Amino acid sequence: MKGRAKIKVWGAMSAAMLCIGLLGNQVLAADCTTKIGVALPTSVDWGRPIAATTQFAVDLVNEAGGVSGCNIEVVLRDTQNDPKVGVDAARSLVDLEKVKLLLGAVSSGVSMPILTSVTVPSNVMQMSCCSSSTAFTKLSEEGKTKGLWFRTFATSEVQANAATILIKEQGFKNVAIFYKNDDWGQDMGRLVADNLKKLGVNVTTSIAINDGQASYQAEVAKGISGKPDAIYLALYPKEGISIVRNWISLGGTQEMVVANSLKSDEFRDKVGFKYLAAAIGTDTSSPRVDSATAFIDIYKERFDSEPNGPGLSNAFDATMIALLAMQAAGKDADGPAIAKEVSRVTDPQGTPITADTAGFKKAITILHDGGSVMYQGATGNVQFDKNGDVFAPAVAWVFTESGIKEERYVSLEEIKSFMDSIN
Amino acid sequence: MIGVISYLVFFTTIAAILAIAVLGLNLQWGNTGLFNGGVAAFFGAGAYATILLGGTPQGEHIGGFEIFYPLALAGGALCAGLLAWMVGLLTLKLRHDYLAIATFGVAVAFESFVRNTSVMTGGALGLRGFERPLEALIENPFLYNILFLLVVVLVLASVYVFLQKLLHAPFGRLLRAIREDETAAQSLGKNPSEVRLTAFIVGSVIMGLAGGLYATFYAFISPQDVVPTLTFQIWAMLIVGGAGNNLGALVGTFLIWAVWTGSGWCLSKYAPVEAQIYTGTLQYILIGAIIVSMLLWRPQGIFPEKLVISQSGD
Repeated sequence: MKGRAKIKVWGAMSAAMLCIGLLGNQVLAADCTTKIGVALPTSVDWGRPIAATTQFAVDLVNEAGGVSGCNIEVVLRDTQNDPKVGVDAARSLVDLEKVKLLLGAVSSGVSMPILTSVTVPSNVMQMSCCSSSTAFTKLSEEGKTKGLWFRTFATSEVQANAATILIKEQGFKNVAIFYKNDDWGQDMGRLVADNLKKLGVNVTTSIAINDGQASYQAEVAKGISGKPDAIYLALYPKEGISIVRNWISLGGTQEMVVANSLKSDEFRDKVGFKYLAAAIGTDTSSPRVDSATAFIDIYKERFDSEPNGPGLSNAFDATMIALLAMQAAGKDADGPAIAKEVSRVTDPQGTPITADTAGFKKAITILHDGGSVMYQGATGNVQFDKNGDVFAPAVAWVFTESGIKEERYVSLEEIKSFMDSIN
Repeated sequence: MIGVISYLVFFTTIAAILAIAVLGLNLQWGNTGLFNGGVAAFFGAGAYATILLGGTPQGEHIGGFEIFYPLALAGGALCAGLLAWMVGLLTLKLRHDYLAIATFGVAVAFESFVRNTSVMTGGALGLRGFERPLEALIENPFLYNILFLLVVVLVLASVYVFLQKLLHAPFGRLLRAIREDETAAQSLGKNPSEVRLTAFIVGSVIMGLAGGLYATFYAFISPQDVVPTLTFQIWAMLIVGGAGNNLGALVGTFLIWAVWTGSGWCLSKYAPVEAQIYTGTLQYILIGAIIVSMLLWRPQGIFPEKLVISQSGD
């Protein structure tokens, strides 16, 4: 009984202390703040840097004086990658915090119910850094997103086409595909396989990889039995590391084409650069405009490392574009009004602006005078089509001893004409 | 103010839907002693079947029969029952931990099935395109959510009353008798395996009903909705509330779901800006700590089972 009582007292005390501690640290509000909602899987390892990058972009905007003279306050909620939790977070951001803009989520399985059951019915604009599912395009074509949905992550289709071009250029004849068994991976695996078949490239096997298995020996053995001369990987670093190590140790080919999710230092370090010298990856990017290098520079300054995690550039651009649109829409604008201004801040005929504090300041003046701007961000001159899908050119990159180097650009026209030629 | 009401309506809807599933588990574990580790599978079977039966056709997918909604919902629950019947026949001779592992395996297999059967379940992309009943008539989403909440509460109340009546009927005593001492029940001429199977199926039908309502509310379902975390959440709600007590199951659900979501709200509000990106992890620690401390404080649950002696000898 004594022990019980002790636990009770201890529990009550620690709860009280926790609350006091938290209250004491509450940030003092500036004279005027505007809240924006951010719902990201911060409890997942790769989700946290995305949240940090989002906050970083907001900090830059606040340094420029904020949006419509108000400081932007990020209300960050964890989605736990669980649709129930994600929708609840979004609901409370919209209902309780009254946000007009929601950034998130990462996984399409979370973004989709948020979009259909929270943001669209409540007229809140939603912009995702990382959801790639083709289902969003269909939903928008049915007119069910009310133009409130945007994403800065290229659709699976653009990514798959870029990968196909690289595979063709390398002249591979037999390719094995490993894809993550989720919405993104299934899309990628299917689209790349379809493209390759049209090109006459033999797909030896296409293998779904489930998360968190202790070993991928069976999958790798199955892949290697088809004797491919190259592999295509649409995987995340954790599973990618395990599979590639297994693959190399069984004597598989070192020729690989990988998706942008493996553009990470962790992947290079844990597999070992000497095995990845022949690997080539795809990502969405643009010709080297000043702003793309500028992003890398300011990112390094802030985080002391290169922006090499999945989704970081996309998260940065999503935040910047959304805040620019908010600025263009004026004070206290609602979701549809902000969404309407997205085209004015990503106007190819507009004045180019850089993705930093100075750029945002410049944009404030131009937008105030009724002009339009062309945002040049971390993934280039971002533009959206009517479905909120980004059309971005692609970039091919390779690993180097010390990091990652961009090898060449694949322009949008090139991708389009290539796809027309095989269809 | 309207925002707070809107959020509370939403919160109550989800909590009430989960409570239905917790009541189903309470019949299985609390009253009959069946350790069902595969709640997510029966919840998911109800959810997927409801959308497949009541939804609109989607491309080349099988399904989308646009059946009248109450029938689709009933079909979903029935589907969960069918799954339970098959699983039950195979596994109910297993006891305790063995049954838990077997049913857990069923749930993993179910998730894998819906993730890969893209011609029917949409694979990892999930199923959408469900027209929520009456939504076109009621244009105001806020009013619609209130109506939806009323329907869910009505279903919850019916399930609650049904289970209470069941437990106080001779069948309820039979369940408890089998839970406490199967051999003794058998010696009195009862057939434990049949009763266990019945309880397992009825509980699973109730879980399927919850799944159907859940999928209807979001008008979307994907494999991410039926991961083992769901099973854990439902179990935590029952254990904290009090296994064997339906009122406990209700209270436990609302409490755990409030902790689960409220901890995120609290952290986003009060944690310092620099720590914000770590709040996701902190939230998990907080949720775990609260569940553990509740179990230390009240291991029998908030409302423990009231043991009734059905016939007092005088």
